[in-house]
Parts: sequence; C-alpha cells; structure tokens
Amino acid sequence: MSGFVITILIVLLVPAVMISLGLASSLNFRLLVSHFKCSALTGRFDFRELLSRFNFPVLPKVGLNEAAEPCERPDLKVLNCRVQLIRQEKDDSVFDAFNVEICGSIHAPSDMHYTIVRILVTDVTDGIGKAEPVQARVKQWQLPDSPAFCYNGELGKLPNADSTLSDWTAVAQLRLDWMMFPRKGKRNLQFNTSILSREGGEELACAECTFTYENTAFGYIDLHRNIQRTRTLAVALAFAVSAADKKLYDCEVALIKNWARANFDFSKASAGAKRKLDKALNKTVDFFLDGHQLDTHKICKEIVEIVPVAERYEILDLCLHVARANGRVDAEELILLKNLANWLEADPNRFRAMMEKILPVGMHEVKDVEVILGVTGDMSQEQTRKHLNQEYRKWNARVTTSDSEIHTQADQMLNLIADARSEYVG
Amino acid sequence: MKYEMRNKGPKMANIVGMDLGTTFSALAILNAIGKPEIVPNADGDRITPSAIFFDEENSDMTRVGVEAINSRHLNAQRSVRWIKRHMGDVKYRKNIDGKDWTPVELSSLILKKLKQECSAERGQIRDAVISVPAHFDEVRRKATMDAGTMAGLNVIGIVNEPVAAALYYATTRQVVGKVLVYDLGGGTFDVTIIDVKGHQMEIVCSQGDHALGGIDFDQKILEMLEQSYRDKFAAELINSDEDRARYEDEAEDIKKTLSRRPTAKKMLYGPAGSMKAEITREMFEEAISSLVARTDILLEVALEEAGVEPSGIDKVLLVGGSTRIPLIQQRLEKLFGFGPETTVNVDECVALGAALHAGLTMLREKPDAVPAGIASGLKDINLTDVCNHSYGTICAPIDKETGRRVIQNRIILKKNTPLPCESTQMFYTVSKGQTKLEVTITQGEDTAPEYVNKIATHKFELPPGRPAECPIKVTYRYDVNQRMHCSFQDLQSGRVLEVDFCLDQNDKMSQSNVRQKAEQLEALKVE
Repeated sequence: MSGFVITILIVLLVPAVMISLGLASSLNFRLLVSHFKCSALTGRFDFRELLSRFNFPVLPKVGLNEAAEPCERPDLKVLNCRVQLIRQEKDDSVFDAFNVEICGSIHAPSDMHYTIVRILVTDVTDGIGKAEPVQARVKQWQLPDSPAFCYNGELGKLPNADSTLSDWTAVAQLRLDWMMFPRKGKRNLQFNTSILSREGGEELACAECTFTYENTAFGYIDLHRNIQRTRTLAVALAFAVSAADKKLYDCEVALIKNWARANFDFSKASAGAKRKLDKALNKTVDFFLDGHQLDTHKICKEIVEIVPVAERYEILDLCLHVARANGRVDAEELILLKNLANWLEADPNRFRAMMEKILPVGMHEVKDVEVILGVTGDMSQEQTRKHLNQEYRKWNARVTTSDSEIHTQADQMLNLIADARSEYVG
Repeated sequence: MKYEMRNKGPKMANIVGMDLGTTFSALAILNAIGKPEIVPNADGDRITPSAIFFDEENSDMTRVGVEAINSRHLNAQRSVRWIKRHMGDVKYRKNIDGKDWTPVELSSLILKKLKQECSAERGQIRDAVISVPAHFDEVRRKATMDAGTMAGLNVIGIVNEPVAAALYYATTRQVVGKVLVYDLGGGTFDVTIIDVKGHQMEIVCSQGDHALGGIDFDQKILEMLEQSYRDKFAAELINSDEDRARYEDEAEDIKKTLSRRPTAKKMLYGPAGSMKAEITREMFEEAISSLVARTDILLEVALEEAGVEPSGIDKVLLVGGSTRIPLIQQRLEKLFGFGPETTVNVDECVALGAALHAGLTMLREKPDAVPAGIASGLKDINLTDVCNHSYGTICAPIDKETGRRVIQNRIILKKNTPLPCESTQMFYTVSKGQTKLEVTITQGEDTAPEYVNKIATHKFELPPGRPAECPIKVTYRYDVNQRMHCSFQDLQSGRVLEVDFCLDQNDKMSQSNVRQKAEQLEALKVE
C-alpha cells in the first residue's frame, strides 16, 4: 500500500513542482498570450483587436446545431451567415467540413464589382473575452505571422452595387482537417464572414454566426499541457529503466537530470524553482534507491492517451540513452525497454532501428534475437528465413561504412544473423 | 572515380589483368591473338601467395610470396598476410623499422612483385586492370587502383572478380543462359548472376560478403586445434605470433586435406607437450556451419535481387580456392539440382578474365594502342556491367508517422542498374528564403544517413527571397567507364551545380601523393 502511495507521489511530484514553478499549466496560458502579444507588437496581427473591430449583426441561434434549420427568417437588409456540418467525398477520401452559407444584402461601390469572401473562425466557448483562435494546420489558411485560421475565397462579381441574396448560398466548405481547435470537447465556434472588395480589400458586408461542434481530438492547448505532463512521465520511465538492473548509475542519473532540466525550461526558472526541481529529482532517485518500483505499464497507458506518437518516440529515445549510459545493457533493462516500446505502441521496426543506433549489439549483455533481429516466436521457418535474409541484406550493406564503430556493429550483426539462421532455419 | 589513360604514346605494350587476392595473387597477359595466359612467377608458380616479409638484415628488401610465408614462422612481426581485408581502412598501419605501412602501400608490393617478374619474362608491363570483390566500395576500389599506380602500373580499370571470371568462362566455352558465379576466395565471398548469350554478357546483379572466405574457415580449424590442446594439457597451444603464424598455416593445410579426405591429422607441439590432433570432415563442417549459413543467405539474397528461382539458373561457375570444400559443392548441387562447373581453374580464372577486361577497356578508350591480333580476338565480346552500389543524396522529408522532418538518404541510382544509366528525382527547398543547399552525394543502400558513405559534399548557392518548396532537379549519370556525373538544377533560376564524381575534395592532392609514394617504392627491392 505504502509503495503504491509513493508511486503515485513520485508520478505526481514532478508535475506538482512544475506547476508551482509556473512552468507547467500557467506556461500554456503565458505562451499563448505572449504569442498574440508578440504579433501585436510587430503590428501585423492582433487577434483581439481584430475581434473588436467586428460589429456584426448576430443571427439568433441559426446554425447552432448540426443541420439545424433557421427558426426565424433572416433579415435580408443585412448580411447573414450560417454553418452546417457536412460530410464530403473527394478522390476516394471522405472528409468532414463546415459548410458556410450567406444571405442578405451586400453594398458594393459599383455594379459588377469583384468580391472575395473571408472567414475567420474563433473558439468562444469560454466567452468572447476569453476567445481563443482556431488554428490552421495548412499554411494556405493561416494569417500572415500567425497560425490563426483565415479562409479567403473568390466570390465573383456582384451584379449590382446593391445586391441581395434572398436564398442561403454556400460560399465556402471549410475542411475540419484544416483546423486545430484549442481544446477537446464541445466547442462554441464563431464564424466571422466578411465580403471584401477584391480590388481595394475594403469590407463591403459582414456577418457572424456561432456553431457548436464536438471536437474529439486534443486541441493545441491540451497538447501543450499534455506534453508538459508527458515530460514528467518520461522522467519517471527513464528512472525506471535506470533502476531496472537494481542499480542507479551516476551517469544514468546525471543524464536524466540534464534531460529534465533542458525540457522543463530550467534555465529560465528562478533560483527557488530550480532548487525545487532538483529536490524533486533527488527524491525520485531516493525512491528508486529504496528499491521501489513504478507501474510503468500504467504510465505508458496515460502517455498513449495524451500525446501523439512523435512524443512517445522521444521518450523511448531518452530511455534508450539511459540504458546506454554505462556502456552495457542488462537483460532486465532490455526487457523493460521492449515492454515500454510495446506499451507506448511504437512501431516495432522503428524501435529496432532506434535500438540499432543507440544500443549497438556489442552493448547487449544477452543477445535477444527478437529485440535485435526482430525474429518472433510466431514466425514460420520460411518467414524467419526471409526476415533474416532481409536483415542480412541491410547489415551487409552497412558493413562498408567508413565509420569503424558501425563497421564493427555490422560485423557482429552478420555473425548473429548467421547463427540465427543455423538455429532457426537449419 | 576517374580512370585516366596516361602514357599516351604510339608504342604498344603488354595488356595485363591482375588478381590481387586475399591469400593468392596472379597475373595474366593477353597474347598476340587476344587470348589470356597466366604468367608464372620467378619460382614457376602460376599463383603467388599475397604475403610480404620485410627482410631483417636489409631494410631495402621485401620478400613477397612463398618465401614471405616461410619467413613469417620465424619473425611474424615483420610479415603481413591477408592485407586485402584491411584495404580502405584508414586506421590500419603496419610498423616496420619505424615506418608505418598502409594497406595500399603493402598491396602495391604484391603488385610490384607480379609486374616485375612478368616484365622480366614478357617485356614491359604498363596498362593493367586489377580485380576487386564485387562488393568493394569506391574507397576500396580507389585504394586498389592507388596500389597499382604505386607499383608503377597504369591502372586503366577495375573489374569485379566474378565478372572477370565469367568473362573468361563465357569466352572460352559455349555458354547460353543464366550463369551464377559463386566466388568464395581466401577472404571474400561474391555471388554474381550473369545473362550470357555467347560473347554477349549482361550482369544481372552482384552481392558480396566482405569477411567470409578461406581464412575464416582456417580460423575455425585453428580454434579446434587450440581447444584440443587445452582439453588435453590445460595449457595454451599458441603463445607467440610465430606460433600463431605456424598453426594458421597448419590449419589451412588441414582444410585442404579435408577437401580430399574424410580425416586430417596433425602433430601439435605446445609448451606443455606434444599431441596428435585429428579432425574429421564432420567436425569441420559442424564448426563452419554458421559461415556456410552466411553463404546460403548471400546466395538467396542474390537470387531474390535478380528475381530468379534456383531453377532459373543454367550454370553455376565456381571461383576461388574455398569452393573446393565438398560441403559447399554439395549444398550448391542440392539447391540447383545439378553440379557446379568445374572445368575452369578456380585460382586463375579471375586474372585471366581481368586481362580480357583490360583488352576491352583499351579497345574502348585507346584502340590505336591495341595490337591488331588482340583487337581481332576481342572484337565480338560485349559486356554490360551494372552499378556496383546505390548512389543517393541526403534530404529532409516529412516522416509520415510523426509528421516531423527527418534526415534521410534518398537513393537516386540503384545498385545493379545496367550501365550506362541515368536517373532523375525532384527535391524541394525546405525553408523560406533558403539561399544555400548542402549537396551530399552518398554511396550505400540505407535510408539512414549514418549507415552510408558520404563521398562528396558541395554547397549550392540559391537566389534569395524565395518561398519554401522551390524544385531542385537532381540527376545522376553513371557511364560504362564507371565515371559518375551528378547535376543539381534549380528549376526556377536555372542555376546548375555539376559534380563529376571523385572520392574527395583533395583528389588531385591524393593523386600527387600516390605518385610520390610510387617514386619512394621504386627504390625498394621486391623479391
């Protein structure tokens, strides 16, 4: 029981310190605010200023829900907009998109005036005052010097200086995979649709509507928070790898501490904050020195839930370097590394490629053919033969490298492959 | 790599091919009608051991061949064997009397011995082709060429050993179909598949293992001898370099005996007493099983590469002394369903083929220097070679799984592409305002840059003020003389960077170094 409590304590300790340092959750907010402040300072774009400039008529409840019909007839004297979620098929792929429609009046300087439509999407779930931009994943739809989403499309010529669209007319289909929302879950999105003169860029008409969308993916704020949490968990896993052989080598501990300092913006922290982080790390060291263990499977599960695969490879990279630090990999370390890769849902071939680079076969205390060569128990003799041939082809090509360490490693691998062939294929 | 034809004079000299082997070397010359002939050494032997001994009393004297092998038992420190295994290794040095000898310099002594003794019998030797294992990379090929230059030869080309063997085989017999050349020599192993229609030969593919050959089999026997002695006397059989040298040769003898008889016996004279060791063929075969497994893998890989089933092979040509091991021949017979070709001398065919290759190279590059009889003898032979390695460049694509940029080697010219060949790929600049491109030419089969050789690096200046993703067209061309030309073209500005393949930026300097070394070696007497 006490072990469990300590386990939880350790996993929670480092993030708690991070939060108290202002390096974790508050960092998210500061980073975001600073991002927009910076943009404003450059005079190129200020998100809040842009929002305040808009003074659009709001359509009551139109487009609030998927496929919702307007409950009132729109006022055609002004411009109105509404949004529906649609599913489209194109080139054998299916994608979801926001279908933006407009109706009402547009006043242009002349007849046959060329116009464009611009749509900004803002997340106003926490109110207009705490609005967060929806970001564009595609550069084409990003504002200059800001990742905020801004769609621009041709609208064509208006027939008259005063034109009225009496029916709802689709002006844009905004693919969901173009956007990144701030957070996961139910989001209130505000669509600011402007009709601009193509020639001078002046605004001829504008409208605003909101739409509620259930976002199933992590938002960029979530991701930032998750990354901070993941780094904490990475430190825990790295210590677990270091302690797998029941020994914590100084070189391993130093490597983990340096990694933690580099990844928690240690250099920017106050002296007190630095002390707190070091204290937390030292307590973690003591925890392992006392012979305690972590539930590494559980930690991996949490990581898989909160961060994409790229971050998970970074954790594996750290763990492999920890295993390498004292120049040899023990059997226990190897088993844990293999499990971590599996639990973190890393591609086995990619993990093996990482192993080959960071932990060359000469460092392995035990030559595990599954880990080193990728030969698994469920392979038939023929599959094993083909797999070993492929491995041989790979290492035989590497043997001519001018790097003597790789040359030695390739030699060792070729011998291992030949031995495995004799043993498993005959 | 550039093979330049030097000494352009009207005088016609002998055209020779040289097999610079790990354990034995040989020289063949084209006769008046373009047929290759082995030129025996001064002792009358058709092949010469690739062993060197530096005379203890006369520092200007080196002995190459049988005498060097015998002297090695007396003073191993002053002797060198199997230097080919170290070819291209920049760190390897053999220190003799304060002088560090490189693998290139040591190899040049072997070539010098062959050249010298052939010249004494057949007149001036100048233009030569030297054979190398098919899997040798450009560094090792260049090192071999430099060894030839240091030996006073004009190296007009380098030929792959199995190609040379097949060339000799196909031009001296009626052959049609797919021929698999199984070249298991003293230190290296190559498998090459060739499509032969009379004198028309097309190389399909080559695969090679750099560290698999007779000396590895000998090593297994040596380990058995050492273990027997340890078991009997609880003492070590080998206690000095001289002991090792002696028992390495004994092991080689045992291996040769076991190719003829089921049992081999040897007296072991160690410090704790003497004993009779007996090794059976079964024991030997058991000991070399993992090495044989390695030959099996390479064979399968070559067949896969060529897209040929064993039943699609019409002939198996054996090359190299280690193919005499009965187990090797039995396994080949089992795999292909017929016995390998044994009519060609496995020790000589590479040198003989290299001489033919030299003749063909001379005909292509300097036809006026080829005597009419030789030209007539070679006129129908047509050989289509392939790229020995893959060539590529370093780029930074976005990884599909992680969405992040990764540094990667992208292959442009694939290994085993028939020569001449050309290939183009498009690449794109990474960042906005990118004004420079670091162009790296690589040799190797891997996508990971760590595992390939970077053979040239250049800076390519680009115009300023442009967006990211500007297209760069990259074209690699490889001709029949194994000269490579690379071009990097910025399509928007039309700027082009042309790179003619050479091993490093200091190639001219290294060439002058080679000539300087050649002059120094000229003074050294080789017997």
